[in-house]
Amino acid sequence: MHDLDRRALLGTALFLTVAGLAGPAMAQADIGRAANFIQSTGQELVAAVNDQTRDIAARRQRVAAVLRRAVDVESVGRFILGRWWRQASPQEQQEYLKLFEETLIRNLSARFGEYQGVRFALGRTQQRTEDDVLVNTVIERPNTAPFSLDWRVAEINGQPKIVDVIAEGTSLRLTQRSEYSSVIQRNNGSVAALLTAMRGQIQQLAQREQGR
Amino acid sequence: MRQPIRSRLSRAALAAPLLAAVLLAGCATRPPASDPEALADYQQTNDPAEPTNRRLYAVHQAIDQYALRPVAVGYRAVVPQPVRSGVRNVLGNLRTPVILANDMLQGEPRRAGDTLGRFVINSTLGVAGIFDVAESWFGVRGHAEDYGQTLARWGVGEGPYLFIPVIGPSNPRDLVGFGLGIVSDPLSWFGQGAVVDGLVYGRAGMTVVDTRESLIDTIDDVNRTSLDSYSTLRSAYRQRRAAEISNAGEVAPAAATSTGFGVGTGMDQQRR
Repeated sequence: MHDLDRRALLGTALFLTVAGLAGPAMAQADIGRAANFIQSTGQELVAAVNDQTRDIAARRQRVAAVLRRAVDVESVGRFILGRWWRQASPQEQQEYLKLFEETLIRNLSARFGEYQGVRFALGRTQQRTEDDVLVNTVIERPNTAPFSLDWRVAEINGQPKIVDVIAEGTSLRLTQRSEYSSVIQRNNGSVAALLTAMRGQIQQLAQREQGR
Repeated sequence: MRQPIRSRLSRAALAAPLLAAVLLAGCATRPPASDPEALADYQQTNDPAEPTNRRLYAVHQAIDQYALRPVAVGYRAVVPQPVRSGVRNVLGNLRTPVILANDMLQGEPRRAGDTLGRFVINSTLGVAGIFDVAESWFGVRGHAEDYGQTLARWGVGEGPYLFIPVIGPSNPRDLVGFGLGIVSDPLSWFGQGAVVDGLVYGRAGMTVVDTRESLIDTIDDVNRTSLDSYSTLRSAYRQRRAAEISNAGEVAPAAATSTGFGVGTGMDQQRR
């Protein structure tokens, strides 16, 4: 009996030691993987933005394609809808995800599409949080002071994916969650009202893109 | 010497009735306990005076559309970038006493040393603070601190969210910090008369213009892409303040003030 206890104790101690050694090593590997992923995605984005041989519409399309691959649009969209996700009907959920993807990609590619001459580099602080990695980058544009962007990278089905962007301590998905929630609440809890507002916004964005 | 302090104190005191008016007028309805998710949402949003805040936000948007933004756009168009940087650096340098006091009140001797060293170097080699040589030659970057952050570090809660026209997003704690910043600034203690008043108001006016200029693109972007810019600003403000208080990275540069949009000035100058 005592032997068993001792063996269990030893086993646990050994396990803890190994886990203690392996834990940080695994975290390092995760950080490296996430940083590499951001590095390569960032280079693709910069190449797309600075491609002089194409016009702005084509550049934007390339940016959108990179973003669609790199961002886990579905989980971000569900996070942002928060508690209203469960209150939405399956049709509303489907339509929401479609509209959300379009809004996100259009907004981001319109913004990045204007960053002519942009350069970027991995920043100093890469850190692991509970279930993802924060990768810091520094964005440089001509005639503008450099600014830092943090990318939250999670493993989705074994693939690193972007799940949030943080600028000036402000998380994009938290801010947008508050925005969408506010729209729904001000319309007496109607998810349909949010969908209508999103459709209107996409129309406006499309008109503006054509106006350019 | 006594008169200017009093007038500045009374200006800070003006905030008190305004605050009371905000708190007493329209309140958002608290969701019933039978809806725990809605209640959690309500508590997390921390905006019990939302209807009043939204009315004040509408007032601000009108002021911004017809006065603040046009002036900021004009300033950007007329004054070349190097001069604007110089103005921003001078404003940041003038904030040294407040930043230094708060570095010390928060028990951060290294940051206090940075602040003091930067002040000495920039005021002399940097020609009265026009050039930030402390950063460009010595690599010592500026940071912001204010009484709102110090109060937070001392455990004072933020209180309900407030939106105040022209000043912007705030809360009672940061508003008190903002007042303390004005009252405790030694630059507002010296002298009196037209010249001193002119300098004091000139500095306040330049701070507003510089701040709004630094925010042109950010706020345009919010107004263009947000379905509800009021809640976007509210969320962004509270997140950013939390990051500043924890000193997680240099979120705000030296020229930033304690509350509202104040932090905007030079907000694109990020840690490296």
